[in-house]
Formats: sequence, C-alpha cells, structure tokens
Amino acid sequence: MQFSYEVNDSYAEVKSVGRLNMVAAPKLREVVAEVVAGGSSRVVVNLAETDFMDSSGLGALIGCLKAARQAGGDLRIAGVQPQVKMVLELTNMDRVLTAYPSAEAAFGDD
Amino acid sequence: MTEVIARRGFHGPSSEEAIEAIHNELDALWDDASFVPDMDRMTFATAVIEAAANIVQHALPVADKPVEIDVDISVRPSRLVARVSAFNAREPFANDMQANMPDEEAESGRGLALIEALVTTVTFERQDGTNTWILTRNT
Repeated sequence: MQFSYEVNDSYAEVKSVGRLNMVAAPKLREVVAEVVAGGSSRVVVNLAETDFMDSSGLGALIGCLKAARQAGGDLRIAGVQPQVKMVLELTNMDRVLTAYPSAEAAFGDD
Repeated sequence: MTEVIARRGFHGPSSEEAIEAIHNELDALWDDASFVPDMDRMTFATAVIEAAANIVQHALPVADKPVEIDVDISVRPSRLVARVSAFNAREPFANDMQANMPDEEAESGRGLALIEALVTTVTFERQDGTNTWILTRNT
C-alpha cells in the first residue's frame, strides 16, 4: 500500500494504491492530516488503484472526512472500484462519502 | 465429507503481516479455483479479512504465550468455507462482538456487521483457549 499527494489550485488529490486495510489505514490518516495541516482542506482521495478496502480503511476515510470538514473543507472520493463500492453500500456510508468518477470531477461543481 | 476443490491456509503470530499474508492466500485460492465468480470472491475475501483483522486488533493472550492466528480457506462444490482462529486467546469481550452498524460518524465498529452482511452463515466457537469463526458463503 502506498499513498502520494498532489496539491493544486482548488483541491489536493491523495492517491491510494493497493489494499486499504488495517495496515494502511493509519498511514492514510497521517497523509490526509499532513495535507490538511498544509492548508488544503478540500481533499479528493483517488481510489482508482485501490481494489480492496475493509472497515478499518473505511474508518480512516471517515476520520479524514471529519478532519477536512473541521478545517472548513470537505473530503470526497473518486475512482471507486467494485469491492470498495460494495463496502460503502453495505455500511450505508455511500450517502456520506459521495463517489465521483474522477478526481477532477470531485470538486468540479464548486 | 464434502469434496474440497481448492484449499489454502496460514498460521502465524497475530500481527499486521498476517493480514497481508492471509490476503495473498485468498488471491492464490482464486488462482486455484478460477471458476469462482467475482462477486463471491469479493464478498468472501472481505469477510475473511474482517475476521482476521478483528483478531489482530482485539484478541488478548490467555497467558504469556502470544496470540496466533490460523486461517483455513476452502472452495467446495457449492460453497466457500473459512475457519479463522485465534490460538492462546481470551474469550472476546461482549463489546467486541457487537454486530449492529454504528452511526455514520463512528470510525470503528463496523467489522462484525459487515461480516454478517457478506456471508451466508457465521458461527463462533470457543474451545481450549481457541476462538474460531466459521464463515460460509453459498455460491
């Protein structure tokens, strides 16, 4: 699992590659905390290359969403793959973590 | 005995490394049984990883021996079966066995509810310091 991020004018994109499980979840929290502390509170987590997420990974996304909102921004997800979509739907979290087709589309409307 | 078409397993210390190793065994199981549909692979693998992660995160040792995790996963003619065990483990706390989905602000506590949503049957057994989850999914 690895994370990288890129900050541009209107949002920061965090790329998540690999399995977002209990091993990777704390790292995602660290990366998003760093991005938000750096002044980017509008965050897109790009999950196009994340083929697996468990409840720990989901918990980390929820924690990151709260951190972004507390800083006055928001967190959105993009590029959701079938297994991640399934976990979001079964936990009813698809209503809270809205999925966008791409990172560009996530903050494209505002 | 029901015929076993493919079988994989893992045994080792209860640790983060175990989670990755078990996931690799699941991937290898699908290589051995390529006819298993994607939906069944996805749901079953998620349930097995949730059960294993529950052990790594919550299982406490009975005495001075560390907790060990053991996973036996098999493909049978019309179902997938996993036995996920914690050796040298105390009986789980009732709080750790909570199977209701928490509210949407919660950052943990969804694992068991997710397991129940993903598989056909979930059985928990405790015997001689070993906790075992038996998960089955009809295919």
